[in-house]
Amino acid sequence: MDIPILKIEDFLVVTIQSELSDDEISKLQEDILLRIKDVGATGLIIDITALDIVDSFMGRTLSNVAATAELLGAKTVVVGIRPAVAVTLVELGIRVKWNVNTALNLERGRKLLKQLIGAEQRGGVS
Amino acid sequence: MSALFEDHADQLKGQWITEMRESGLLEQMSDVETEARYTALYNTVVSTFRTGEFEDVEKYAKIITEEAVMHDMSVERIIGGILKLRDIYERFIFSKYRDDEEKLYQLLDSYEPIANNILTIVTMAFVEERERVIHEQQRAMMSLSTPVLQIREEILVLPLIGTVDSERAEQILEELLDRIVEVEASVVIIDLTGVPIIDSLVANHMIKTVHAAKMLGADTIITGISPANAQTLAGLGIDISMLITKNNLRAGLWHADKMLGFKVRIEDR
Repeated sequence: MDIPILKIEDFLVVTIQSELSDDEISKLQEDILLRIKDVGATGLIIDITALDIVDSFMGRTLSNVAATAELLGAKTVVVGIRPAVAVTLVELGIRVKWNVNTALNLERGRKLLKQLIGAEQRGGVS
Repeated sequence: MSALFEDHADQLKGQWITEMRESGLLEQMSDVETEARYTALYNTVVSTFRTGEFEDVEKYAKIITEEAVMHDMSVERIIGGILKLRDIYERFIFSKYRDDEEKLYQLLDSYEPIANNILTIVTMAFVEERERVIHEQQRAMMSLSTPVLQIREEILVLPLIGTVDSERAEQILEELLDRIVEVEASVVIIDLTGVPIIDSLVANHMIKTVHAAKMLGADTIITGISPANAQTLAGLGIDISMLITKNNLRAGLWHADKMLGFKVRIEDR
């Protein structure tokens, strides 16, 4: 099943609705990066509200997507991490190497993206 | 044997209550209450001797110990009553069959295990009930001592007081994360003024909390670390570069306001 990648203005929004197999995760990663390239997105929001469990593979992939998207000129924000998932990720020690931006929900994520992009543009001008 | 206790119920029960009253086991209890309570207990014990089933005793023990613990009665008072009845029965058996040795030993052989068992059940019930209450109080105290306060739209304050062990640390983490989601907090201030000792366990837990809160989109400010604790922290060699730390709660709040664009203004009075 293909996971829809929605476009709002210059941002892409991906909502992961169910647990994914490792293959599906890899496929999604590819799709997202192609889409960023295609539409020239400046921001990417990945919503994982529906996930009860995030394993180390998923954690690493999210981090990889963020790093690669950055190279393509898009900032990434992961939103909707549940408390239990946050605890698991911290215990897995992923966060230490994790330079992914996070926000509570979609709304906050969009706000954060705008801040990040705004800061970069101001930095570029001056 | 149960028939024996039943037939002489009034005499034995009367003797039992008198002896208990003399040894001060029945203080603060009215005569009506005493009568009702110990008649019930007496009947339970007799029926146990008749059937050899301990279910009723267990049930009864649960009820009286619950009450006893609630009213802060002493162990002596609970066990004392049962011990008295045990003695009365034994003396009664002795006086009845003094001349018939064979019958006497036969009776005692069946009497003693049951009597001991009843005593054990009541004692165990008492201990268990007490432990349950202690445990309950501990939990209540723990949640009482970790309030998570919302002081502005998006700011939570967690004043920690007392020592932090792993169990409490876990509980604090869970509570805090739930609250962040609930009030959609952006900044969390953890105030450590009331924490006497910060060791590597507390420090690591703090770092874990900061990371987890960050994943939910909340930044954490740590305040109120005492000079002595600051020295310990520096000496532990834990990487605390990612922590935002401020001198005291006031400075922490000021910083949080600045992060979120809040400005405090004094109106003309």
